[in-house]
Amino acid sequence: MRSRSAPWVLLAPFLVVFIGTMIVPIVMAIGYSFSSVERSGLLGEGGLTNSFAGFENYVKALSNANFVESIGRMVLFGIVQVTVMIVAATVLALLLETANAKWPGFFRATYFLPYGIPGVIATILWSFLYIPGLSPIVDVLGWVGLEIDFLGPNMVLWSIANIVTWTYTGYNMLIIIAQLKAIPGELYEAAKIDGASGFKVAMAIQLPLIRPALMLTIIFSIIGTLQLFAEPRLMQTMSAGITSEYTPNMSAYAFAFQYNDVGMAAAQAVIIAVSAFLLSAVALGISSWTEKRR
Amino acid sequence: MSRLTRRSALAGTGAALTASALAACAPPAQNGVNVEPTIPASDAPVTLTYWSWYKDLQKVCDIFNGFQDRIQVEVTWIPGGDGGGYAKMLSAVAAGGGPDIGHVDMRSVPEFALAGALTDLARYGFAEQEDQFEPSAINQVKVADGIWAVPQDYGPVATFYNREVLEEELGLRPPATWEEFHETAGIVSEAGKSFLTLDPSDGYAPIAWVMQSGATWFRPEGDGWIVDMTDEPSMRVAEFWDQIFAEKIINTNYGPQTTPWYAAAAEGNVLASISGSWADALIESVPGGSGKWAVAPMPVWGSGVGYASGVSGSSSAVVLANSKHPAEAVEFLTWMCTEPEGIDAMIEYSGIGWSTAKDYIGEARKQPSEFFSGQSYNEEVIVPMAEGQNLDWTWAPLMQRVSTIIGDGMTGAANGTVSLTDMFANSQREIVQIMRDMGLDAEEAR
Repeated sequence: MRSRSAPWVLLAPFLVVFIGTMIVPIVMAIGYSFSSVERSGLLGEGGLTNSFAGFENYVKALSNANFVESIGRMVLFGIVQVTVMIVAATVLALLLETANAKWPGFFRATYFLPYGIPGVIATILWSFLYIPGLSPIVDVLGWVGLEIDFLGPNMVLWSIANIVTWTYTGYNMLIIIAQLKAIPGELYEAAKIDGASGFKVAMAIQLPLIRPALMLTIIFSIIGTLQLFAEPRLMQTMSAGITSEYTPNMSAYAFAFQYNDVGMAAAQAVIIAVSAFLLSAVALGISSWTEKRR
Repeated sequence: MSRLTRRSALAGTGAALTASALAACAPPAQNGVNVEPTIPASDAPVTLTYWSWYKDLQKVCDIFNGFQDRIQVEVTWIPGGDGGGYAKMLSAVAAGGGPDIGHVDMRSVPEFALAGALTDLARYGFAEQEDQFEPSAINQVKVADGIWAVPQDYGPVATFYNREVLEEELGLRPPATWEEFHETAGIVSEAGKSFLTLDPSDGYAPIAWVMQSGATWFRPEGDGWIVDMTDEPSMRVAEFWDQIFAEKIINTNYGPQTTPWYAAAAEGNVLASISGSWADALIESVPGGSGKWAVAPMPVWGSGVGYASGVSGSSSAVVLANSKHPAEAVEFLTWMCTEPEGIDAMIEYSGIGWSTAKDYIGEARKQPSEFFSGQSYNEEVIVPMAEGQNLDWTWAPLMQRVSTIIGDGMTGAANGTVSLTDMFANSQREIVQIMRDMGLDAEEAR
């Protein structure tokens, strides 16, 4: 009896908090997303009723051009930014794990450092490097005749991508390094005996064996991309290119806290979650398909 | 020992939580605070709670707390409206709590009323205090017969300009009319500078322009709203700015009083800002600008159409729906916003932009300003701006949506993808549809 109830007793504190802060809000959000509010009178003083709206909020969310555009923008952002970041993280990890790397501990810590800086602070830091008149980078580019407006409507998305890349490359690099360290030494020895070059070792041994870590970092990055919020929201005040529904999460935020339309915000949040799930599933599918093809 | 094992207790807790979650699966609806009988003033001393994002507002309230002992006011600081303050207040009210008094931009007051978060102050005798306020201020918080807030601070629009560069270097005058604005902006642009900058995603900028031009975008009629964004005053503004955008004579990369704007203004590359009166305090932080700047009226439409100015930005104090002491709250707020003592304290401690009281701008605002070239600009410029407002203007209960739609549209106009004239017409259609989706009765003007 006792032995069977022990795990539940030990799990109880976690379960209560988990149910209260994760499960209940998710259930409520799904519930909200199927409801809408009816008002009467000039300012709703004639009364307010909640009604079941079926998929009305979802239809409206997906027919909201701004919201659909914001998802498209994030997919574009993800394809470019996640690719660049994962390639950079992998290259850095492989370089730091080669036998003749100098000071690997120091460089690992240095590359990881940006992750320790909160996204909000990082955005403020970088914005000072983007703003014309304040930024040394813009000044130097100006001297060589390059007029780049980092905060312009077409450029600002890539300025944000740069901040995100700067923040997370080191973090992803560490995950990949952890997996590299798990590769048994015998493989390297065998490769050496067969006379494989360093490049050949990376391509034939290291890369195939760090696939799970790469998959993990890619999926985390896809989810992170869809949830992009703090960076664009902060840069909104500096760039005319960022509208209040620039990313899906900003759109949901706007509907919940600025337009006071909780049903719509909940529907958007559910759509974001399902999209993240689907994209992750697609990434996993591609991964296992290429695995089978080999 | 009962037979209640921990597991069944846990299961029970979980089930109860899930059940309450499912029961709560609808956004909270409003209480009928404005149809229930009014709450009489209390006999015993009361304590009012007040949520605001003004700095040091407690010091203002302490003056009030000091000279009488029936009402004590306690202030809690909250983040600014869009920075989370509104969400916090609306969530608290929806949960049945919240403070007695809240801080809301005047333009967002109808939105709060629509969310069922406000007490109609007209039911607590506030209509008798109406004539103590500047008509253009009190008008901003009225919808039909209701008065939904106490006006606290607002921003009649004026032109703040770099006198040294504009007048002494370029030999120009601040534009008195929009036609002159067009010429001036062109000349300044040829000189490699920008007369002003605009954040095209800021939907409230064109709203201030059409307000001045004489438009009434939202008109309550009976139980419904007439949305009219394509009348002559609106089209006048749209055509004018379409021309400005087409000629690319102003900078549309960032808004006034933003970090890049300060950098450019300090170098004399941006010469002006047509902003609410509260911009004076911000512009005073332009590095090295002291004695070089000055203030002029907002450019007007020649030939006697439209008004002297519009309104940009404002604050008001609202009595939230769950307040147990609305009568006392109205008494305190009337003191704070109309008595010279309260107004001076709000200017000194909280830095309000412009007093909403009639005939009292605040002692500090009667002095000439060293930064603004020794000008007594408050009395010379801002007072006439406050008096020359469009009194027909009413805020709709979805200004956040409207400002986003207009801001997104103007972003397109600045990039040349759509004209403002078309954008206003499209927006009118879209806004009416949204109002109907919200369950409001709305139609486009014929």
